[in-house]
Amino acid sequence: MTESITVKTVEELKDAPEEYREAVAKLVISHAINELYGAQVFDEPAIAYAPTPYAKWLTCRVAMEEYGHHVRFRQLGVQMGIPEERMVPGTGKKPLSIFEFPLKTWEEFVAIKLLADLAEILQVEDLLHCTFHPLRNLARATMPEERFHAQFGEDFTAELVKTPQGKETLQAAVNEYFPYLPSFFGGSKSRNNEIFRKWNIKQRTNDEMRADFMTRATEVASKYGLTLPEVRQAA
Amino acid sequence: MSDVIGLPAATLARLKAELRAASWFAALGEPLTGGDRTDAAAYAGALGLGGLTIDLAKDWPEAERLLKSSDWSSHLWDREEALRRDLLQRAEAHYPERALWTALTELTTEAGDLVHGKAATAASRMGNAAKASIHVAAGAASQAVYQLAVARLAGDAASPFESKFRLFAAGRWPLGVVGSRVILF
Repeated sequence: MTESITVKTVEELKDAPEEYREAVAKLVISHAINELYGAQVFDEPAIAYAPTPYAKWLTCRVAMEEYGHHVRFRQLGVQMGIPEERMVPGTGKKPLSIFEFPLKTWEEFVAIKLLADLAEILQVEDLLHCTFHPLRNLARATMPEERFHAQFGEDFTAELVKTPQGKETLQAAVNEYFPYLPSFFGGSKSRNNEIFRKWNIKQRTNDEMRADFMTRATEVASKYGLTLPEVRQAA
Repeated sequence: MSDVIGLPAATLARLKAELRAASWFAALGEPLTGGDRTDAAAYAGALGLGGLTIDLAKDWPEAERLLKSSDWSSHLWDREEALRRDLLQRAEAHYPERALWTALTELTTEAGDLVHGKAATAASRMGNAAKASIHVAAGAASQAVYQLAVARLAGDAASPFESKFRLFAAGRWPLGVVGSRVILF
C-alpha cells in the first residue's frame, strides 16, 4: 500500500515521517558513495587504457561527470543534514559488489559502460517520479549524462566488434563482468525497496527492475552480435 | 563550494575567475597567430618536445580524424601524466587530502558544465561535429583545468599546464602530437 506525500524542498523534509526521511537519506548516501567509488575504480583508471586521445578525453569526461554526480548527491545530502563522512567509501556503507571486478583492460571498461551504465539508467529512471522533489530533480539532471555513458559503451562496442579479435576479447570481458550485475538490483524481498515503494520514492520492485535489465541488456548485446552468459538472477 | 579549510582561497578564486573569463573554443579552426605558435611551442617545449612543427586542424572532422590517428604520439600524454602525479604529490604534502580532493572535484565539476556548453556552442556554430566530439572537447578542457589547479596548488607557477591553459583561454584546443607536429584546433 502506498502513502500519499510530496516533499518539494529539503526544508519540507523535516516535517515528513521519520521512515520517509530515513529512506531518502539511504538513497542519497548510496548514490553518493557509489558514484564516487565507480569513478575511482573504473572510470578514472580506464583513461590510461584508452587507445587514442579521442577515447582518453571521452573517458576523462565520463570520469568527471561521475565525480560530478557524487558531488551533487553529497551536496544534497549535506543540505539534508547527512554528515559528509557517511557519503564517502570506507566510513560506513560499503560500495556495491559490482565494483569488486578488477579492471584490467580497455575492453573490460567498454563492457562495463555497455552494461553497468544501462543498469544505472534503470535505477535513475525509477527516481524520475520520486515524491522527494530534490532527489527527483537530481535524477533528472544526471539522466542525460548516464545516457551518454551508456552510449559511450555502445559506440566503443561498435568499434571493437568490427574485427574478430576485438569481438572475441569484448565477449570474454562481457562473460567475465556480466555475472556481477543482477545483484545490483538488490534482494527480492528487500525491506528497503518495500519502504521506497510505500512512499512513492521509487516505483518498481527489485525483481521488476532486474527483469527489465535482463531484457534490455540482452537487446543491446545482441545488437552488436554479443551474447550474455547464463547467471543466477534472484538475489 | 564547500568550506575548504587550509586551502588558499585566493588561489582558487583567481583560478575560477580565469576559467569564467576564458574564450573556450571560440577560435577553433581560425588561422594561427604568432601568440598561438609561441604558447604552443612553450607548452610542447616544457614537456621535452621542442622543435616540432605547429600545425592547425581546420574543422571538426579533421580534429576527430587526428584524435583517432594511429600516428598520435603518447609522449606528450605520458609526460603530462607523470608531471600531474608529481604535482599532486607536492600539493598533498601541503594540504589536507580530503579538502584538496573536494576542492579539485568541485572545481572540475563546475568547469565541466561551463566548458561543455562552450564546446556545444562552438560545434553548433561550425557544424559537422560528431555528437561525441563535444564530450571529447569538454573532457580535454576539464582535464586542462584540473591540471592547472593541481600545478597552482603545488606552488608551481611555471608549469607547462600554464601555457596549455593559455591556449584554451585564447579559444584553441591543443590536440596533441601527431607524427612530428603539435596540432592546434
